Amino acid sequence: MNVRFFLILSLLLASCSSLPEIRPSADAGSACPSPFVVQKTRFIHTIEAAAAGETRSVMIGVTVADPASRTLSCALMSPEGIVFFEASRTPSGTNISRALPPFDAAEVARGMLDDIELIFLKPTEEINRAGVGDSGRTVCRRRLRDGGWLDVGKDRDGRIRIQRYSEGGRLRRSVALAAGVNPYAAIELQASEWTGYSLSMTLIEAETVPDEIRSGK
Amino acid sequence: MRAKAAGPLSVLLLVLLMALPAAGADDFDRLRRDASRISSLSADFVQKKSMKILSKPLVSTGKFFYAAPDSIRWEYVKPIRSIVISEKGTSKRYIASGGKMIEDKTGGVQAMKIVLDEVAGWMKGKFSANPSFAASVREGPETVIVLTPTGKNTAGMIEKIEITVSRKDAVVKTVRIVEGAAAETRIDFLHTAVNPALPPGTFQDIP
Repeated sequence: MNVRFFLILSLLLASCSSLPEIRPSADAGSACPSPFVVQKTRFIHTIEAAAAGETRSVMIGVTVADPASRTLSCALMSPEGIVFFEASRTPSGTNISRALPPFDAAEVARGMLDDIELIFLKPTEEINRAGVGDSGRTVCRRRLRDGGWLDVGKDRDGRIRIQRYSEGGRLRRSVALAAGVNPYAAIELQASEWTGYSLSMTLIEAETVPDEIRSGK
Repeated sequence: MRAKAAGPLSVLLLVLLMALPAAGADDFDRLRRDASRISSLSADFVQKKSMKILSKPLVSTGKFFYAAPDSIRWEYVKPIRSIVISEKGTSKRYIASGGKMIEDKTGGVQAMKIVLDEVAGWMKGKFSANPSFAASVREGPETVIVLTPTGKNTAGMIEKIEITVSRKDAVVKTVRIVEGAAAETRIDFLHTAVNPALPPGTFQDIP
């Protein structure tokens, strides 16, 4: 009975979702935040993964993001250094070189690469609306080519938020970046799927990558 | 899966530190005999992870403790604090979260227990009895024991493991876990003490 009730409630809530309103603002367009990487950069983060509010796993993640070629390379490993996922994505496709369960499931690997792209690479779509959202923060909205919407906004405290919505306006992903000089110093990602999860990432090290690495050193 | 993947590493390290002091001779019976004289062990370690995606090795540091017959504490201090404790047939893993250590309750912990139980046999010098690895000894300036996976599952994760033992004092110096052509983990052991008095609570649950 309770399960059925919550299922119906969830469906109702989902069906009633709508994009947050953006109020026009004269200077919002020039204030659109863009935290995304501007040159090829390697990041090493600790990643704390949680589901249902409970920490499930702690990992080390390595990401190389290249905005010029829009390529991503990533590796996930245990604290003991055993790599259980390694993949790269280019505009022409994805190459998974190592995937141990549960990362051998195609949807898990794709979802993870989608999350990484969301965090590090600037969307290719143009901003088609900018203004002030709830709580008075600046919000810049893009219509995504693959469907849905993407908001990038800046809170009053300086934190940048990246939020991806479904076509119907349901929040699918919410990323909060650290305020300050390096927004990737601390990253909080909340996935609102049927089975939601969250990632809390803390920067260990970041460095720009010389171009020669691109050739596959 | 993460914890399961970590299992072989812990296992191997244990074997190394415990059973290898006698590895100077290609004699596994002697390994078993010599392993039996070790009642406890402690060491610091520096782990260097090399991969194609990294410009330089990712360095982790920590501490290792063992007490006969089957108690193990494998503790990473940096960059992530993580502790695996195995004692009396039970293995637990603790991870740092929100400023405190919490128990990792994923299914992988149970998988790791299976591995650690198997390792317990190795710690008693039973190298040749383990069907997962083929062991061989290479003599030179230092003694190198090479463990090669025989099973399909392990072979997919680990290509081989090389354990370097000092011929001078029979102490394990280095472990190389080769995962493939472009990835390996090297662990250097420092300040190894044989049969030290370990602090009380070394193998107890983390509060």
